[in-house]
Amino acid sequence: MSHAAELPVWAALLTSLLLLVGAGLTLLGAVGVLQFRSFFERVHAPTLGTSWGTGAIALASIVFFSSLGTRLVVHEVLIGVFITVTTPVTLMLLARAALHRERAEENPNVPSRAVMRRRGSAPAPEDGAGDAAGTPSS
Amino acid sequence: MDFFALALIIALPFVAGLAAALLPSDSRTPVTWLAGLTAATCLALTFSFYPAVSSGHVVRYQIDWIPQLGLGFTLRMDGFAWVFASLVSAMALLVVIYTRYYISREDPVRRFYLLFLGFMGSMLGIVLSGNLILLVVFWELTSLFSFLLIGYWHHKQAARDGARMALTITSVGGLSLLAGILVIGHIVGSYDLDAVLASGNAIREHHLYVPALLLFLLGVLTKSAQFPFHFWLPNAMAAPTPVSAFLHSATLVKGGVFLMARLWPVLAGTPEWFTILGLAGMASFVLGAYLAMFQQDLKGLLAYSTISHLGLITLLLSLGSPLAAVAAIFHMLNHATFKASLFMAAGIIDHEAGTRDLRQLSGLFRYMPITGTLATVASAAMAGVPLLNGFLSKEMFFAEAVETHANSWVDTIAPYAAVLGSTLAVTYSIRLIHSIFLGAPPPESFPREPHEPPFWMRFPVMCLVVTCLVVGIIPGLTIGPFLRIAVTSVLGEATPAYSLAIWHGFTIAFGMSVIALVCGTMLYLVAGNYLEHTDSPPVFGRIQGQRLFERTMVAISWRWARSIEEVLGTRRLQPQVRLLVAVAIAAGAIPILSAGLDFGPVGNGIDIAFTGLWCIGMVCAVAAAYLAKFHRLAALALLGGAGLVTCVTFVWLSAPDLAATQLAVEIVTTVLILLGLRWLPKRWRTAEEPIGVSDRLRRLRDLSLAVMAGSGMTVVSLAVLTRTSPDSIADFFIENAYTEGGGRNVVNVILVDFRGFDTLGEITVLGIVALTVFALLRRFRPAPDTIERPEQQRIQQSYDEAEPDRKAGATATEYLYVPSVIMQWMFPVVIVLAAYLFLRGHDAPGGGFVAGVALAAGFILQYMAAGTVWVEDRLRILPVVWMGVGLLLAALTGVASILLGDPFLTSYFQYADVPVLGKIPLASATVFDLGVFSLVVGATVLMLIAIAHQSIRRLRAARLEEARQLEEKQQWS
Repeated sequence: MSHAAELPVWAALLTSLLLLVGAGLTLLGAVGVLQFRSFFERVHAPTLGTSWGTGAIALASIVFFSSLGTRLVVHEVLIGVFITVTTPVTLMLLARAALHRERAEENPNVPSRAVMRRRGSAPAPEDGAGDAAGTPSS
Repeated sequence: MDFFALALIIALPFVAGLAAALLPSDSRTPVTWLAGLTAATCLALTFSFYPAVSSGHVVRYQIDWIPQLGLGFTLRMDGFAWVFASLVSAMALLVVIYTRYYISREDPVRRFYLLFLGFMGSMLGIVLSGNLILLVVFWELTSLFSFLLIGYWHHKQAARDGARMALTITSVGGLSLLAGILVIGHIVGSYDLDAVLASGNAIREHHLYVPALLLFLLGVLTKSAQFPFHFWLPNAMAAPTPVSAFLHSATLVKGGVFLMARLWPVLAGTPEWFTILGLAGMASFVLGAYLAMFQQDLKGLLAYSTISHLGLITLLLSLGSPLAAVAAIFHMLNHATFKASLFMAAGIIDHEAGTRDLRQLSGLFRYMPITGTLATVASAAMAGVPLLNGFLSKEMFFAEAVETHANSWVDTIAPYAAVLGSTLAVTYSIRLIHSIFLGAPPPESFPREPHEPPFWMRFPVMCLVVTCLVVGIIPGLTIGPFLRIAVTSVLGEATPAYSLAIWHGFTIAFGMSVIALVCGTMLYLVAGNYLEHTDSPPVFGRIQGQRLFERTMVAISWRWARSIEEVLGTRRLQPQVRLLVAVAIAAGAIPILSAGLDFGPVGNGIDIAFTGLWCIGMVCAVAAAYLAKFHRLAALALLGGAGLVTCVTFVWLSAPDLAATQLAVEIVTTVLILLGLRWLPKRWRTAEEPIGVSDRLRRLRDLSLAVMAGSGMTVVSLAVLTRTSPDSIADFFIENAYTEGGGRNVVNVILVDFRGFDTLGEITVLGIVALTVFALLRRFRPAPDTIERPEQQRIQQSYDEAEPDRKAGATATEYLYVPSVIMQWMFPVVIVLAAYLFLRGHDAPGGGFVAGVALAAGFILQYMAAGTVWVEDRLRILPVVWMGVGLLLAALTGVASILLGDPFLTSYFQYADVPVLGKIPLASATVFDLGVFSLVVGATVLMLIAIAHQSIRRLRAARLEEARQLEEKQQWS
């Protein structure tokens, strides 16, 4: 951090603010993982970190290095893109795996698969927990 | 040039053998041409040495091998070696011609020629070796090739047994020979043949002479199938007949007597030599001939006859007189000609009549008159009939047997034994011809209607038989000069005057010949019918070396091995690991306790963030170990956590290269273990069983072992890390990476340039490991409790089956809809990433290895996204090709620098001006790195795919069961 002293004040302030926001959001997400009870609630919490948490930290990095150097540094955008593309998929997979397990264990709180597949022709669904199988994702 | 020709004679057969193996599998004719031309070339090369050798010159060719140990790759050709090299090459040529018509279309002909040419090369190696250790190396090679050739038809039990017996006996002999040679080398102070031959007196008078002689004789007697080790030869007759003709009459078994004659000037002439060899030779001579009479298998008869004739040669060599040695060498050549021709004739008979059983064969002369005539002449030579070559050497043998050489009872009975053996030889020769060719054809027809073989199959036999005749009639003009140079080179100044004339007048020897011929004929007239119908020879039929051998083998390799395993082995993993850790602790503790351990100054100040990071890592590691027993998946996730901490540590300590590699490896490893998890049994946390005192003690012991190992490791690492490191080679690398290697990334420059040879070795090992994993997984048999589909898959399947409009596997596909799209879209990104990592490798963090692992991860991502079947329909990954190309590329880069005159793997570095891109650095190490990259991709993908394929591979039983259930269901619905 030897270069920090060369940073203009506005940039230093902006960087700090963004860093704090990003870190705070991520921390909040982590606390959420601890606090929530069921898996399907917990799966939402880390998204704080992977959405604006990452975004703010990446922005902070852009501001910091751009103002230190002479040109715009935007490598961090790639990090943001990849996080945005991959994280939802991971969480989606996790959620579906959890759903699958709950169903396999015949947990009464989870909509059973066979019920959802029958549309119209069959007796009405027991509860309207979801219209399609894809909803539990973020 | 001459010297290269000498090396070429040996090298050519091996190279040609490999080339034969690489030809397409249906290329019978090209392979035959290749082998024939190789043999012809070797013969021509050998002949080209005749002028030099015939003038008494010894051609030598020497390359240092391990000069510190006195080992040189020394080739040496004198007259004796010349004659033998010609014999081997000429025989090989004839046998190749013969084989063309003998080996059937179904037999793997390439394997035959690979082994055949390999054997030929090693036999020539024995003959031409000028260093005794080198000779032993080739000696062992001949045993090995003989084993493989005897077992050529390995689907036959007899071939396998015969091959194993031959290998066991000859390799025991080979070991013993090596020991004997080492003792001789110790006495002489050199293994060089010339030096050994020059110090005969020193050896004979040394107090280690007797042990050396015994070890040496054990080696040569086993090889030449001499009593009491003779029994492997008849069992080796399960080999194809060309092999018997080449190995078991002309060359391999001659190896023993060759070496005896080679070292004859050094070792012979002592009472020990005379007694041991004389007895062995005499016993083999008489017993072999006796047992040959009773054989019902044509090849068996020839095998025992070979034992008998080799006994004759051994007996001659034992006498210690130069004239006897001349006779021995002469008989070696004669025996090779008539016995090989008889073997080939036996093969023809077997081939045409469909059987080799003497009881079934009869009256074949009217079907195959030419073959019959040839065989008759050859057996007459074997019996020692005048005007044939066998007669001449037998005559010399009789003359020598009569002479008194040493005053002992062995010498006294020698002439009687000689006449007895020869009489029996006459009997079995007559029996051979009479029962096969003469008489009426059997009432029941042959398995096949016999007829003359093709001309070229008969041709080699004809050549050999003509040789028998010509040598027998005009010996002085034909074999004379060759025999002279052979004899002179063995005996040197002791070469006696000998005469090769046919007629020496009415000598005792001639009388003995006549007696043998007459008695032999009479014996056949009297006992011929009995011989034809007996099953086992009386009296000596009970001596069954074979039974003894088998009992010994069972005792050693089965009973003893089992009992040792019971005493020392365990199949339980825990004791093994416990033992391993205990030994490791001891190995670490002993030097520390004896020499102490110095710590350097511990740096002050603790970096809180770094410590916290490591605390996370440690918690992950310990938790992974704790959970490994009952929740493997969780343990794996925790392991990933520990890996990530390691990764971040590398970044923290400014080693981005290592971090990137660690990350990629971590990903691939996790996938690998995940794929493997499915095949491990499910474990449940069962109720706590009552714990007794012994269990507690056991756990306490294991715990203390673990704690000791862990803390010991910590202490040692701490000690190493706190000390100031000595000046290492690292500074050199850092200073010279750019100037010498042309790269700024020191790690990569070390890998592909400074230590390129290490890397080449490492990637080779990686390739071997991948292939091994693949081979093991192909034969993978899952444990009984994991054969059934796992519970999750069964549930998915029941979903699919419950709905009539769903196909099997639909649930899994549905679950992966969104992820699979993203995974497939990521594929090009991963490829770009890999290319990027690769290209920047030489100057910035990256390199072939990490790029390879990244690309492999990309491939495996596709497998995960869409399933094995889908991917392989669309994307053909050929991991073995990747590996092969990688290895070749890396090796060729190295070779390229040799071609440019620099040491192997020297790298070049230059800037090149490329339009558009501008000035870019080019290093030949990049090509090497490309090889590394390709191999890593191939190896990783091969392993991952091999495991992935397990999930679509169903056991046969399970598949059948599933099909049956499906059928049942359809019937009911």
